[in-house]
Amino acid sequence: MTTNTSVIGKPEIRKDAASKATGKAQYTADLQPEHAAYAVLVRSPHHHADILSIDKTLALQQPGVIAVITAEDIPGLKTFGLIPDQPALAINEVRHIGEPVVLVVATDKASAQYGASKVVMEYKKLEAVLDPIEALSDVSPIVHPAGNLLSQFNVDSGDLDSGFSKADIVFEETFTTQRVAPAYMEMETSLASYHPDGTISVWVSSQEPFIDRARIAATLDLEVEKVHVLSTVIGGAFGGKEDSSLAIITAIATWITKGTVRMVNNRSESFVAHPKRHPVKIHLKIGAMHDGTIIALDGKVWLNTGAYASYGPAVGSLLTEMVAGPYNIPNVTIETKVVYTHTPYSGAMRGFGSPQAHFAIESAIDMLAERLKMDAVEIRRKNILQTGDTLPTRVHLNETALGLEPILQQASAAVERLRKVKAKPGKHSGVGLALAMQSMGLGNGIPDNSNHRLEWLPDGRVLIHLGAADLGQGLVTVAEQITAEALGLPFNQIVTSPFNTHAVPDGGVVCASRMTYLVGNAMIAGARLLIQELIDQAATLLNQPKDQITYACGRITLPDGNTLSASEFTSRAAEKGNPILVEASACFPYPEATTPQHLPIGMPHVKFLFGAQVARVEVDAELGIVEVTDLVAIHDPGKVINRLGAEGQIESGVVMGIGYALYEDMNLKSNNQWINNFTEYLLPTSLDVPANLEIQMLEYPEADGPYGAKGLAEICTVPTAPAIANAVYNAIGVRVKDLPITPEKLYQASQIRS
Amino acid sequence: MNKLTVHFTLNQQSIRLETLAARSLLDVLREDFALTGAKDSCGGDGECGACTVLLDGEAVNACMVLISQVEGRHVLTIEGLTPDGSLHPIQNAYVQAGAIQCGYCTPGMVMATKALLDHTPQPDETQIREALAGNLCRCTGYTKIVQAVQFAAAELHHDN
Repeated sequence: MTTNTSVIGKPEIRKDAASKATGKAQYTADLQPEHAAYAVLVRSPHHHADILSIDKTLALQQPGVIAVITAEDIPGLKTFGLIPDQPALAINEVRHIGEPVVLVVATDKASAQYGASKVVMEYKKLEAVLDPIEALSDVSPIVHPAGNLLSQFNVDSGDLDSGFSKADIVFEETFTTQRVAPAYMEMETSLASYHPDGTISVWVSSQEPFIDRARIAATLDLEVEKVHVLSTVIGGAFGGKEDSSLAIITAIATWITKGTVRMVNNRSESFVAHPKRHPVKIHLKIGAMHDGTIIALDGKVWLNTGAYASYGPAVGSLLTEMVAGPYNIPNVTIETKVVYTHTPYSGAMRGFGSPQAHFAIESAIDMLAERLKMDAVEIRRKNILQTGDTLPTRVHLNETALGLEPILQQASAAVERLRKVKAKPGKHSGVGLALAMQSMGLGNGIPDNSNHRLEWLPDGRVLIHLGAADLGQGLVTVAEQITAEALGLPFNQIVTSPFNTHAVPDGGVVCASRMTYLVGNAMIAGARLLIQELIDQAATLLNQPKDQITYACGRITLPDGNTLSASEFTSRAAEKGNPILVEASACFPYPEATTPQHLPIGMPHVKFLFGAQVARVEVDAELGIVEVTDLVAIHDPGKVINRLGAEGQIESGVVMGIGYALYEDMNLKSNNQWINNFTEYLLPTSLDVPANLEIQMLEYPEADGPYGAKGLAEICTVPTAPAIANAVYNAIGVRVKDLPITPEKLYQASQIRS
Repeated sequence: MNKLTVHFTLNQQSIRLETLAARSLLDVLREDFALTGAKDSCGGDGECGACTVLLDGEAVNACMVLISQVEGRHVLTIEGLTPDGSLHPIQNAYVQAGAIQCGYCTPGMVMATKALLDHTPQPDETQIREALAGNLCRCTGYTKIVQAVQFAAAELHHDN
């Protein structure tokens, strides 16, 4: 094993960049299969209604229409999900606007759309509940028969009452956050083909193709082996593509029509019928001493998970773990309720509950500092987590890559520097700071492994059979760099196969800031096996003692000092039909001795990332417009594998965080329709990026990470919104406790103040 | 449904196309010519810029152009940026700058960049940000895209 790091940390250029730049890269909707039919959905126009009747007759008579499909036509399970509450096509009742009800398959898109317009639906509108607190009342309309409370999580440590009784100061605040769309540029799409041997191939744009496969098989009442799930290029995901719905629906259309069927959502469908970031209400009661030490925290959280569970319970449990933020608070009680409502469902999205939790705690810490007349940096320094501290989950923080203290130090320097910058005429400037932590991994009790294969090709290159798809973030590049490093080969000697469930092992869901860590460790383990295998083959072929053969950088050295290229042996192995192919697997560690076992499955998490962001804003107090002029993002991702990629993640996370802070809100409009387009839902553009966006990466090596790497993808969006909220307060003295910070809210708040 | 015959130049080639009048340039490019570099990310509402092509040298959203509107005009798509499919300096700049992640917005961004640099060979950062403001990207945070445009401008200027 080579020990120099010749590939790690280098800004290697991702190999798919040129094909993407030239437009040659084919995403699922770009594939051009012959005789593909097109399917569209008739979706619910109501928040909540009984379906009284569906008349397919007229639709079936339209030119080009091949099939009109409803829930009763589904051969197998009609619902799916982590908690299988979600019908692929509505059964008797619709629970949110946009819910799929009828599937119309036709020879082409226009015919399918016209056919869909001829499906005659009769609904009986029912009372809907859209607010999670109202949904918990005894008189609320019922979303699901088992009750509107989907799940509840409680964590506690210490003694809350005694904590509050000792506190010099106790205060309470409530924070709310809005519904946000992941808004990946490639909308949900799927393409499926029926084969005469009774199998089906389904192309998906998904973070969890193996889960899709299992769900498709269950829906069609097929053995899993009869379902091939494949991926081509994926146009972004951000958690929202942990959602099998469109793949399942496309598979149903294909199975029933025995053909090839394509589905591509439009943006309005993407908004109303796929996972969003949960709107959340967080009530915090904080007890602190005069010197700033926080000694008690009581948190109550309500997540509006919408009509179906999706990953709502998992988001709720992770949010619960994050409510206390990156602080050592001895007496904590947190209660979280994940509640069904008749709104489009929420689920996984980058940060997975952590952005909401940090908006609350990081705003509250600044409010506490002000009450105590303390500096925002100083109060954090007094309370930040140190190795050995106990989290509310009773996990003892056991980080090797201890970044929080130096992160705060760098943040403090940034605050000092930015405070000195004068505002433009007519503007008020302010500087705000927020810290953040983000768990890695799926949580205790959930299988958290990642399986792949490595193959040494006859020409000496190494092929990664990657068990997971690159969502655009650069997973393939990271896997290739680590493999290159582990084998001492140049980056361009490593290639990766396209994703296909029949050809690769299960690499796990691409989520939870864990893929660099897990895939990287898997590649290192696989590389060791490859080298072992190569040496074994050389020893046998050349009749040499294997313990005297060494490997480095694509060559083996024999006992007599002669060296031979690896390809001498890989080509012979391939000729004999026995290529050098090894398993490459890794498992996320939840050491039993140090992982508390008193919590529900998926809790607790045991490995964490830390970061801080400092925002400088200029506010036009009359217009209520906030400009983020400067943002310093300080993160400790462990050792950086690819600098360009890591910077890209942070730049992306910051801008997504700016959208969360200032613009994005998938709200219900006065016409009772959800915002479902980019005219009303404001994504940050190139004009909304801070003029000065500075990235500082600390790179404390993680002892058990691949070459010291940890993770990055989620935490870089977590502190942005509270840093901006704190900066806005610093600028104009207006505290907005409900995101986003719109001009209307600033105007109203400043009217009340004056 | 109304059909019409439309004549235009597509990536330097003369085209005569008989088609339904109600179709967009984007649908024609993707469905009739298999030019799938131009993407749809907003549902054909002109909100995202992923389908940006050049119409007589101006960046337009192909989803907002009816096919009848291209009569007698020149359409340049990402596929026609270089005659042999090699990397144009703008494309190379995007690759080298790390400005490409999922890549779905990239063809539109590259074409918007081409229009900008054709008109304004040495734009300042504000001009770049304004020129790309109609092209949404969710992966990159735009920083490296702006850098790519700066690299491309320098490279093209150097070549001239």
